[in-house]
Amino acid sequence: MSLSNLIKNWSSLRVKRPYQDQYKNADYKWGMVIDLDSCTGCNACTTACYAENNLPVVGKESFSKGQAMHWLRIERYWGEGTELAKFPDHGAQFLPMMCQQCESAPCEVVCPVGATHHTPDGLNSQVYNRCIGSRYCSANCPYKVRYFNWWQYPERAWPNPLEKQLNPDVTVRSKGVMEKCTFCVQRLTAAKNQARTDGRRVADGEVTTACAQACPTSAITFGNMADSQSQVAKIWARQQVELASDKQEKKDEGLRGYRIFEELRTYPSVLYLERVRNSDA
Amino acid sequence: MSGSNTIDRRDFLRVLGISGAAATLAGCGNTAIESGVEKVQSYVQPEDFVVPGVGVYYASTCAQCGSGCGVMGRVREGRILKLEGNTHSVISGGKICALGQAAVQVHYNPDRLTTPLMREGGELKPTTWDKAMATLTARLGGESTLKGAQIAFLTGEVSGHQKALIGNFLDSFNSTHHVVYDALSTATGQAASKAVLGAAQPLLQIDKATLILSFGNDFLGAGVSPVHMAAQYARFRKAPRGTLIQIEPRMTLTGANADRWYALKPGTEGVFALGLAHALLEHGQFAKTVPAPIVAALKEYDKETVSGITGVHADAIPHVAGMLMEHTPSLVLSGPSAEGQVNGAQNAAAILLLNVILGNAGKTLQGQASHPFPQLIASAGSYAALTQLNNSMASGQCQALLIAGSNPIFSAPGFLPFAKSMEKVPFKVALVTQVDETAAQCDLVLPLHSPLEAFGSHVSSYQPRGVEIGIQQPLMEGLYPDTRAFGDIVLDLLRQREPKNYKAFPDYYAYLKLAITKARPVFKSKLSDDDFWEDALRSGVLQLDAAPTALKTNASVVVVSKPEKHVIDVRYPFYFVPSVRADLRDGRHANLPWLQESPDSLTTIVWDSWVEIHPSTAAEMQIREGDILEVQSASGSVRAKAYLFPGLQPDTVSMPLGQGHTAYGRYANGMGVNPFKILNPLFDAQTGELATHATRVVIKKTGEHELMVKDEGATNLQQGRKLVATVAADQAELAKETSHVVE
Amino acid sequence: MIDRRDDSDIEIERRFVPKAKDINEDIAWAQINKDVLRSMERPRPMYWVIFAASLALFGFGVFCEVYQYQTGLGVADLNNPQVWGLYIATFIFWIGMSHSGTLLSAILHIMHADWRKPIYRFAEAMTTFSLMTAGLFVLVHLGRVWQFYYVVAYPNERWTWPNFNSPLVWDATAIGTYLTSSIVFLYFGMIPDLAICRDTATGFRRKFYWFLSLGWQGTDRQWANFRVAYLTIACFLIPLAVSVHSIVATDFAVSQQPGWHITSFPPYFVAGALYSGCAAIITLFIILRYVFRFEEYMTMPILDKTCRLTFAIAMVWTYLNLIEYASVWYGSDVYAKETLIYRATGLYAPYWWAMNFLGSVVPFMLAFKSMRNNLTIMMVVSLLLNVGMWLERFMIISPTFAHGYYPWTWTSGWWPSWVQWGIVLGSFGWFSMLFMLFCKIFPTVSMYEVKEMVYHRSEARKARNL
Repeated sequence: MSLSNLIKNWSSLRVKRPYQDQYKNADYKWGMVIDLDSCTGCNACTTACYAENNLPVVGKESFSKGQAMHWLRIERYWGEGTELAKFPDHGAQFLPMMCQQCESAPCEVVCPVGATHHTPDGLNSQVYNRCIGSRYCSANCPYKVRYFNWWQYPERAWPNPLEKQLNPDVTVRSKGVMEKCTFCVQRLTAAKNQARTDGRRVADGEVTTACAQACPTSAITFGNMADSQSQVAKIWARQQVELASDKQEKKDEGLRGYRIFEELRTYPSVLYLERVRNSDA
Repeated sequence: MSGSNTIDRRDFLRVLGISGAAATLAGCGNTAIESGVEKVQSYVQPEDFVVPGVGVYYASTCAQCGSGCGVMGRVREGRILKLEGNTHSVISGGKICALGQAAVQVHYNPDRLTTPLMREGGELKPTTWDKAMATLTARLGGESTLKGAQIAFLTGEVSGHQKALIGNFLDSFNSTHHVVYDALSTATGQAASKAVLGAAQPLLQIDKATLILSFGNDFLGAGVSPVHMAAQYARFRKAPRGTLIQIEPRMTLTGANADRWYALKPGTEGVFALGLAHALLEHGQFAKTVPAPIVAALKEYDKETVSGITGVHADAIPHVAGMLMEHTPSLVLSGPSAEGQVNGAQNAAAILLLNVILGNAGKTLQGQASHPFPQLIASAGSYAALTQLNNSMASGQCQALLIAGSNPIFSAPGFLPFAKSMEKVPFKVALVTQVDETAAQCDLVLPLHSPLEAFGSHVSSYQPRGVEIGIQQPLMEGLYPDTRAFGDIVLDLLRQREPKNYKAFPDYYAYLKLAITKARPVFKSKLSDDDFWEDALRSGVLQLDAAPTALKTNASVVVVSKPEKHVIDVRYPFYFVPSVRADLRDGRHANLPWLQESPDSLTTIVWDSWVEIHPSTAAEMQIREGDILEVQSASGSVRAKAYLFPGLQPDTVSMPLGQGHTAYGRYANGMGVNPFKILNPLFDAQTGELATHATRVVIKKTGEHELMVKDEGATNLQQGRKLVATVAADQAELAKETSHVVE
Repeated sequence: MIDRRDDSDIEIERRFVPKAKDINEDIAWAQINKDVLRSMERPRPMYWVIFAASLALFGFGVFCEVYQYQTGLGVADLNNPQVWGLYIATFIFWIGMSHSGTLLSAILHIMHADWRKPIYRFAEAMTTFSLMTAGLFVLVHLGRVWQFYYVVAYPNERWTWPNFNSPLVWDATAIGTYLTSSIVFLYFGMIPDLAICRDTATGFRRKFYWFLSLGWQGTDRQWANFRVAYLTIACFLIPLAVSVHSIVATDFAVSQQPGWHITSFPPYFVAGALYSGCAAIITLFIILRYVFRFEEYMTMPILDKTCRLTFAIAMVWTYLNLIEYASVWYGSDVYAKETLIYRATGLYAPYWWAMNFLGSVVPFMLAFKSMRNNLTIMMVVSLLLNVGMWLERFMIISPTFAHGYYPWTWTSGWWPSWVQWGIVLGSFGWFSMLFMLFCKIFPTVSMYEVKEMVYHRSEARKARNL
């Protein structure tokens, strides 16, 4: 228990707004791009996430109560407004939604015990063994992408021998803790460790999230935004979307990149590319 | 810890054991070791390549559907944890679908069959392999005198050396009765394709098309090779962006991604296609593509007539025809809703005729490369084969039935008395990883290795580029002591029947290895036999660069009859369109919890069945979501909750296939209902295949109501939030975005 | 003095509208002692019946909590996005109810409002027990109750501190401070009375009161010190009371969820707290007056003043409530407006309208003297006001979750499960048990303060008559 430690690091405990070039000299800032025109809504990514991150299958009754545990969910909308058209003439609108790893996360501020905070490599962390389950983080999340363990899932979700499938790199959560998409932090940690051993930085494409790896249309791109040569950094730059800006001023027309609920100043790390429809169809 | 300052051996092993054992609950208060659930394993002498904490990847091939995607499995401490796509595979391209991910749950399913079962006193009881093999040998071993139609082997779509082995096995009985049943058979479409395009399954080069006109073809969902098609689709959407137009009675996953979606009455796809042909042929450039009699017959397919029959607005026809002319090359696809009709083959032929008119053959349609091992290619399943088997059983001709990978008691239509016919067969043996409805009726049920524990090979009937043979190898040791590989069991019997030919093969591994190494010259490999085999296992695939072949199209086989409106039977006023979910297919995957919990892409419903009704129809009939409806055809009825679905032709209702199991494990039993049972005995006039989309039903309200279990909340609209923004193609600078799709 | 066996000789007043009689200025000190101490005699059977009912209710609450603790919060039917249900609503309700005691004890003390003197004791007790009950909810609603202490800055070898940015940590600090101070204030203010109890008790009770009264002899010096200390704690408590509920309000106000991000929330909550606290005072006033025959002390003029105070606070609350609606309605925050419309028209609309009716219209019954003098009407009105205030807390939480920013997670039929209701009812049982125990162990009317009040009044009358 160090009072001097607290005082010395007081400024870093305060929640700050992201600023321009914040990650310019950082080794890593993980980010993602999701191309909504490529996403077909097939749910391969969500199943891969279940497999990789030991997500419990909650069963019909819990699902009916809204207690599902899909860290990544595919939403399907029929229209942009408030009226349902007679026929969906231009198809459905699919949206893969997961924790946006906000740079100014509303959840990080309000956790009473500091179980969620921002890591130096730009992730929003969730520390299971610190969480006491007050659920304030979920209450404050505008995207509602945080999922709480309402039941003791280890007792019910993996009847023998299903528990043998569990990924040993990922904690199996007990009841009472909050969880959410971590950008497969276990993979990132392993890759960073290997890179550090080799004396280099993780190369683009060397590590990816389970969802990006599975996606048959490669709609999800994941990488290190601090590496200006990475795919994600290039796409963000090409789309003229700044991480630390809540209102993008784009010089060019016809750019598809946007972030969801940007006006709430959450500064998400996930960039979405607008879905395209041939208007002459 | 031990209390001393240094870590002693006991603690060190305990630490290793924690990382090596199965589920631990570290970090949240209790460990499985402390609670006595897990035991500590010593790693003083680990297995080869087992480094605790380090995963090793082994290549294999997915067996969940007929695509034959190459996969690789992450194996840690001797346990397979997760599958990824194998980047060496041309078919999967390093990607994987939800079905593929769930393959590990076939392997680790808690309801898996772990011991042989034998029927005693009317009930299936666990028995030993000795007893099981004794029975098997007695019936089908060296002494058996069965021949010809007296023995039948019923399977699903099977390819590769397993198929060859089954052939060998039946050969030893002088039999050719390998019955391949596919509840979702595409035999009608294939027949039409063979007639009109010259190939039963041509290459669909989606990424080369500028316009795809799909009549219900679900190439992104439950169609052929969806992982590969999805990758092609991604390229199709990059600049210059292709356009997708989908016409179908019920929106499929592919339809949900269309630029333009049209609802039309089921069974009228051919009429619409001929209406388009009529519109196209008004332009001189297409005049020579079609023989004169057909041009003459097409004159009756003016847009007003077509609109009246199909229910699509008349202006759609010149519009779509205009699109087809403007965007070349195009690709016109036929699908299950067109083919599953009494005039299914005719519908499909009319649709494929458009390809001939537009000259797509050679551009977006090509013949598959010629295959060096055609006998290994998956044989197409059909309904006709099942009917034949049924008759053979009912007449008492069939004396012995082996079943593997097929569940007709569940997926055959209700009017076919398959269960009753099966009772007449004196000896029925099922080879399964998990007991299902059909296995539950057999006399002997043998537990198989899952595909993650056994050797095998896969030769998909759809080879998107060149030739690829997928190698399947075990990703871990057998999970249970009493399961055996399919190939081993069959070889056992073969060795008894033809010892001369098969005594060289102690097991299926030897059989497969020899067959593969014998194929080495075909693959032009300079490696030694053993190295070739090792290389095949390591990369998971054997590949041959081979060019597509030319298609010989033939428009004259297309029959153009007079356009006639459907007669509506007032007793059964609704069209019934069964939908196929990519992750359930014919229901064989309903026992996998990840797939049950995965929300259906179009409705987001989980763990259940539902009846889709168009919102305007529901409003007229005063049906709310969750009202339990009885859907009744002339052949049976089922009850399910109503779901208001706008992607539906308003006179149509739809239900998903694959649910409604009664004997398929805890994750499948009691979930939903089985619409296979209400399909009417209607068959395609040309091929005799079951007309799956031709059933008519009546909807009755039961007055009961239940909560619909789904992922979507109180609204299915974006409510003015910018969640999924859409931009018009001509306003998006797609050319500036470089492609990052894996080629 | 004859040792009475129980208080059954208390005759219950049965008049419908009691006389608006104030305390008799000639009343003897001994009479005051006797009347108040009589309430602490062995209780009548009815007491045990009600106590048993409270215990049963509390027991059911405990059963629900044990079930929830062992199985998981899923039994409360909570889900994504409805992550907080009745637990937080009732928590705020109990914190709110606790403010009245401080208002009466501390604020009115400083304002030299004598009429508070007979009633402040039970009000302060109500404060203390409300806070204890609210504290229960903090634990009950946690996912991992057994690690609640992570919120406290305690020495640990991981050098971890709680997150001081979080309003919940502020809550824990404020409520902890408030509870401690309230207990001190309550106990401290009772010392002279405990001395009286000591002097008239026998046996074990005498020892008990002897211990608690800390050797109080009533000397001038002791009285002088007492006055200063009392005033100090009172002054300390007032900002605490205001800040505690303001901090609870910031749980919502610092969040950006629609319907929560409202700058007037802190005063709104404080006003609501004072409101529900005063209503509870009225309820308990009527009950205690009836049960213990305290007409001499808990007089109708005092009730009258309490009701008028409640009415004033009700109007303040109504103003802040309406201002909140107006600023959302005329503002440009589309999402907040949508949520407001949902509150008025969605699934919980009947409760929203009920809340507004109970909170803003029903208090007008307090504006009429004829109503104020009718004990039955006041009892019903005070209970209804508290129902309205409980509904207010519920209406802050669940509709925002049901109809927030993200349409995919909008809910259409969410209600709490029986487990939540069980624990909420159990909390009422717990409060009731504590209060009933208090009534029999400690004097619910402050004897020395009543004597002070009578003395000052008689002096004032003498001064006028001269």
